[in-house]
Amino acid sequence: MNAPTPHPAAAPQQLDAQALAKLHELDPDGRHGVVRRVLQTFETTLVRYVADLAEARDRGDMAVMGRIAHTIKPSSAAVGALALSVLCADVERQVRNGETAGLLPRVENLLSEAERALVAVRAMLRT
Amino acid sequence: MTPPLSFTDAGLPEQPDVLLVDDDEVNLLMTAFALRDRGFRITEAASGERAVDLLADWTPDIIVLDALMPGLDGFATCRAIRAMTGFENVPVLMLTGLDDDASITRAYQAGATDFFVKATQWSLLAGRLHYLLRASRTRIELERSKAKLARAQDLARMGSFDWRRSEGGLAMSPEGLRVFGHSLNDHASLRVLLRMVPRDDRRALLRLLHDVLRHASVLATDVPITLYDGRQRIIHVEAEPEFNEHGHSAGYTGIVQDVTDRRIAEDKIRHLANFDALTGLPNRRQLIWRAERALEQARRMQHQFALLLIDLDRFKIINDTLGHSAGDDLLMEVARRLRGCVRHSDQVMEGALEAAGARSHRTLEAVGRLGGDEFVALLPEVGEDRDAERVAQRILEVMREPIFVSGQECFVTASVGIAIFPRDGGSVADLMRNSDVAMYSVKNQGRNASAIYSPMLAGVGREKLELETALHKAIERNELVLHYQPKIDVRSASMVGVEALMRWNRGGRLVPPGEFIPLAEETGLIVPLSEWALREAARQAKIWQTNFGFSDSIAVNLPSHQFLRSDLIEHIHECVTTVGVPHRALMLEITEDSLMKDLQDVIPALHRLNEIGVEISIDDFGTGYSSLAYLTTLPISELKIDRTFVRDLGVTPQSVAVVTAIIALARSLSLRVIAEGVETLRQMEVLHRLGCGVMQGFLFSRPIPPDDLERWREQTVLPRKAPWIGQATELEFGSDAARAAGGRLKLK
Repeated sequence: MNAPTPHPAAAPQQLDAQALAKLHELDPDGRHGVVRRVLQTFETTLVRYVADLAEARDRGDMAVMGRIAHTIKPSSAAVGALALSVLCADVERQVRNGETAGLLPRVENLLSEAERALVAVRAMLRT
Repeated sequence: MTPPLSFTDAGLPEQPDVLLVDDDEVNLLMTAFALRDRGFRITEAASGERAVDLLADWTPDIIVLDALMPGLDGFATCRAIRAMTGFENVPVLMLTGLDDDASITRAYQAGATDFFVKATQWSLLAGRLHYLLRASRTRIELERSKAKLARAQDLARMGSFDWRRSEGGLAMSPEGLRVFGHSLNDHASLRVLLRMVPRDDRRALLRLLHDVLRHASVLATDVPITLYDGRQRIIHVEAEPEFNEHGHSAGYTGIVQDVTDRRIAEDKIRHLANFDALTGLPNRRQLIWRAERALEQARRMQHQFALLLIDLDRFKIINDTLGHSAGDDLLMEVARRLRGCVRHSDQVMEGALEAAGARSHRTLEAVGRLGGDEFVALLPEVGEDRDAERVAQRILEVMREPIFVSGQECFVTASVGIAIFPRDGGSVADLMRNSDVAMYSVKNQGRNASAIYSPMLAGVGREKLELETALHKAIERNELVLHYQPKIDVRSASMVGVEALMRWNRGGRLVPPGEFIPLAEETGLIVPLSEWALREAARQAKIWQTNFGFSDSIAVNLPSHQFLRSDLIEHIHECVTTVGVPHRALMLEITEDSLMKDLQDVIPALHRLNEIGVEISIDDFGTGYSSLAYLTTLPISELKIDRTFVRDLGVTPQSVAVVTAIIALARSLSLRVIAEGVETLRQMEVLHRLGCGVMQGFLFSRPIPPDDLERWREQTVLPRKAPWIGQATELEFGSDAARAAGGRLKLK
């Protein structure tokens, strides 16, 4: 697999500016607070997904792992957490293809990348 | 927010209702927001189960489903929705991953209308939704239009079909199957349908089909069929060829329609147009059509044909006394009897006569009703006159039996006029006219008989009828006038009275009495005519009395039966008193013939007239057979020597003898004598010599209008300026014999 090598100890990452700009287009003058609502929803749901994913990993439930990766994939891309989205796509594909080998380390990566994304989103929400 | 202009479609909802189903809240939130921004009304559902619940009592315009969801995923949800009543055709858009080919296939299998790759390309998503909505709308309209068409076809008992040379032959629409009485499940092959056509028609139809196919031409024909329940129907089939890309005929597409009712209606219309509603016999139009065909055939095949015009005698009396409905009953019975007299054919015929052999014209034979009480029998071929006369005889015979109408026995007779082609006319119009002439000659000779036309009969008949009608109106239209001819006493060269003669000013032409008085007498019109003449004469007497002291009498001609009328005296009395002249201002002339015919009955009237001062003159004396015995007792005042004797005076010695005798008779009975028709001085001279001094004739004046008579009196009589005046004076004073004879006459 050619997925980029994750950096577990990397500094708090920035959300992708382009993705955020696209998000802004939904509500150009910010009247509806769309960006904020999306980020908040992303934060709340991601916390839940991370917990669910960790549980599935502990049970060894590949199907649930794949489905959660599928769900996180587009929303993480939408808020600009591109690294997370890419990891989701990897996991999803690997589950769909039934490749158990190397799946668990990838899920671990995904979980830590999700934590980083949460940090970035929370940072954004604080501003 | 308004949707982009390019998406506004007529008939589409302004704000389409979208059910958006996605388990991911972030995606749901963003998609909902993006679509709301683009004019959609969004209802969100976070799971398939929730979506199905919402649809229980609500129908969105379109449903957007995320393919992968926990629980009921997109595919299962889509299947569930499709299974719900009313959601068979609601557009469903499935959102799938970019690299998820399997989902795309599964989406279609689950019944999704289309798929879309999950992305943040909101405008593309909105565009896809609009596209799906429009397609859905088009589909709904198509469905509706198809349903309408099916219903219209059902109402019109119509259906459509396709026929392909290669694939399976005939494909008939459900409506088309119904036309043939088949159900949807029946397999209606061309062979099965053809078997419903009666054998003979089937053979003709197959020939036609082969022909149409060979030429790839348009098919349009009516086919009789027998339904499985035995009913007969007529199916109209119309089809056009369809060509493939190589220009070869690939098959046919067309319609079938049950036109039985239309056919029945058409037949009925045709029947109404050609047959008399009352009697059911061919009407004038149909008769004339048949007669034209018979004439063509007779001309081509060199034979004769006969046209019999049958007119009921005195039908009007029956109609007037028993009423029209009884008259109708009678006509129906007469029609029934007349039919039996010929080989009547009821076939409706229009267009060309089918060439069914040399005797085909026989089917033209019929009795028809021209209208009123006039019927026609058409005999398309007769060998000789006797054939037609035999049919006429049969007609007269069948009428002999009494006809019961309104509980009464009626006896009806008919007058039949016969015209035979080619002798009696070369066209139907001529034959009709001449049979009419023949029929009228029968009427004139007492009715209840038949006659074959002959040129000698022409001229009587219709013209007479027209004359009668016109004469009826002559009085009210003031077309009648009296002209006056003076009676002259040649010895004093003075006017001693006038005779009134009726003229009819008919459209600018003066009709002489000889042309209408006989008809007036025949029809009874003479009564009002005579009454008018008396009134008019009295009126004129008054005018002349005022203008020049006229104190003589105006003689009015009356037929004898007028003297039988009880109101004659009263009428004369009224005429003279109304205008204020004495009774003797009117004198009545009655011809010798007419007087003698009704002598016994007329005598009392003559006496009464005499009593009131109205004098009686016997006209045309010498031509009839007077009973001299009666003559002596009749209260008459004057004898008029008939013009025929006057005309022959000086020509035949016999006429001198007759005139001499009349004068002698008059003298012995103390009656005045007057000669009429005096045209020459010679006649005047002889008459005078024989002892008749009062005369009337062209020598003195023809009958002229009253004003002319006044002028004539002023310009001729008073200045004594006419040739006969000198002569008369000479006679008066130059002949003792004449004086002797004239002196014995009672002159006014």
